[in-house]
Amino acid sequence: MENTVTEASSDKTTPYLVLVEFAYKHLDFHLAELSSILEIHGIRLGSEQCQVVPLPLPKNYDEVKKRRNQQPDHQPCRSYVILSFPPKEASSWAGETAETNVQGGCHQFDPRIAVRPSDKLNASPYVNSIAEILYKSVLVKSVIELWGYSSESLEDCADRAHQWITTPVSHSFQQSTLRPILSDPLQSWKFTVHTLGTKFTREEQDRMRLTFHKTLDLIVGPVKMKQPSQEYVLIREIELDGKASPYSLSEDKEGRTKSEPAKEFHSNNEIRTQKHKCCTAPLAFYFGRFLGGPRQDSRGLESYTLKNRPYLGPTSMDAELSFVMTNLGLVKTRDIVYDPFVGTGSILLSCALRGAYCVGSDIDIRVLRGKGGDQQIWKNFEHYNLPRPEILRTDNALYNKHFRHHADAPPSAGSEKFSTPLYDAIITDPPYGIRAGARKTGSKREHVRPVLQENRHDHIAQTVVYPVSDVMSDLLNVAAKTLTLGGRLVYVIPSFRDFNPTVDLPRHECLELVHSCYQPFNGELGRSIVAMKKIAAYDEGKRQRYSEKIWIHGAASAEKCANLREKIIEAAKQKPGYEEKAAIRKEKRKANKQSKREKRSKNLQE
Amino acid sequence: MSNNSKAAKGKGYPLKITAVEVKVIQNPNGGGFEGSDLEFVKRLLPTLDWPALVQAANDVGIPTLPPLLTVELSEDASFLQALYHILMNVHLIKGMLTCPVTGREFPVTDGIPNMMLEEDECS
Repeated sequence: MENTVTEASSDKTTPYLVLVEFAYKHLDFHLAELSSILEIHGIRLGSEQCQVVPLPLPKNYDEVKKRRNQQPDHQPCRSYVILSFPPKEASSWAGETAETNVQGGCHQFDPRIAVRPSDKLNASPYVNSIAEILYKSVLVKSVIELWGYSSESLEDCADRAHQWITTPVSHSFQQSTLRPILSDPLQSWKFTVHTLGTKFTREEQDRMRLTFHKTLDLIVGPVKMKQPSQEYVLIREIELDGKASPYSLSEDKEGRTKSEPAKEFHSNNEIRTQKHKCCTAPLAFYFGRFLGGPRQDSRGLESYTLKNRPYLGPTSMDAELSFVMTNLGLVKTRDIVYDPFVGTGSILLSCALRGAYCVGSDIDIRVLRGKGGDQQIWKNFEHYNLPRPEILRTDNALYNKHFRHHADAPPSAGSEKFSTPLYDAIITDPPYGIRAGARKTGSKREHVRPVLQENRHDHIAQTVVYPVSDVMSDLLNVAAKTLTLGGRLVYVIPSFRDFNPTVDLPRHECLELVHSCYQPFNGELGRSIVAMKKIAAYDEGKRQRYSEKIWIHGAASAEKCANLREKIIEAAKQKPGYEEKAAIRKEKRKANKQSKREKRSKNLQE
Repeated sequence: MSNNSKAAKGKGYPLKITAVEVKVIQNPNGGGFEGSDLEFVKRLLPTLDWPALVQAANDVGIPTLPPLLTVELSEDASFLQALYHILMNVHLIKGMLTCPVTGREFPVTDGIPNMMLEEDECS
């Protein structure tokens, strides 16, 4: 890894590097969302056009791991990605004028993606700067034009940055675009130091800044702390554990308890921060020019959070993850998106915010109809001034009966009517029986009793429990049938830690797995967001074969995502103190019931 | 609307619409008809069952659709705009969808068609 770094910086035509900083959460989703966002804009991650550069690691990282008793294959969880672009295209990625990037329109998060008509795709390759593109990702915190980076020392980073900006290649981006910016007396600027998870005093930050004096001395313009035209950023990255707290803190504690346990009680904050500081060795330093994204606040996303919506249900998907799913589904303006388990419409809402046309259906008429007044699906869409989605009450298990036949090509025999697949994306959070139970139409009796004619008009169809494995196979089948070629299916699947995405996920011949991102909850349970792409035309005649091949390990795999509620309760029972807690809860319920009963009898008496 | 007309049950298709209440939204978002909307309608055309749509539009009281979709029409911007309006902005709020073969009725309330089948109709 070190070799590639030195090679790249000594090479005269260095690629244009962009550092993408993610929020330190949903770590598994970062790359998936990044590549999806790029794909929406016609950029393939990993192609010559755009590549991921491995992040630098300190040389002594192996020793650090050993000291922490970590596995030799342990990799730090990092919330940075470096993208490299061909140097020729640097100016288009950076944006036309530098000014629009920093303080320009990028401040408010706007979920809409205006996509150029497909016929013009090749005419003008990049309309958007990389900051504008990545800004559509909810997890991206900021985008920085990377001038230099190093895992060795601050000085090394400063040297590399200076080397890059003063490259003698005359037609390079540095010479033709950046140097004029630096030597423009009207371009105000500021320098900021970002240290994640560690604190530095002003003096220390000053010292860090001075390390970069060679580069900063090139800047002619005035320093301006509020709304400068340019912002130069130094990032000091340390290793964080999965919960976004610095690693060495726990290491430090352990070390102390072993050698001098008495001090544990005397440690006041001051000692702690000092200790903390010297122990968190940096993973890397990055220096560059800020291209986009306010770093601290949540950049306008809060107006989309669930609590600001009129209508909610117990399983509404949170705004951030819905947007991530929207992105994984490559949803663009004017796409048609379908959610067969729409519920309160939280996922469709984020698609509609992107400008997609939404269709949703659910078997439960109660959530669809809402509670009247503000408690309706439409109200959420009206709240954001979005067009009304199409909502139906259907049963996904009976999709074939509900909807017209979709086919990729006209059926060979006969003149049967057909329509081309309709949906660009199917994005859904199917019920798994943890919070919301899945049901489908059916009867518990072996021999279904016919519904009497006179009862039909107000008969309520019986429903039976819908096994999770069937939920999945029906979902995949419907997706395979109704998606356009290249369309995406994105769904949520709860999974225990032993869930192996390569063998345990349901599969379909027409669908290809694109991403599977795991989000751990506490304990053993987590959930994965899975994205699949339709790669082949659906053949109704093969339906039997499709459904046989859904689970690679047959019933064993299906079992893994079934009966989750029971498994969770089982796991809770294993924990120490379950009995006592259960007893307390039981008492509470009893008391609750009692008080209710008393109230009722009081009311009756009155 | 677009989906109501597309939703059908087995052989019984297209469903006849009996409209009680129809809501026509003028210019959602207050925005006009944009180029991207035009692209959108064009993309929708191959998915439409034209005679069924004409019938459906008639049922809800819009008898203006031409009986045949010609190639010229599918390039005509003003026609596409009118079609877009019918597809996207006309909502059936209350009414009944009737299967032409079996006479089975599916009620539409609050804009939500209830396509649920009884348990004895599933097999």
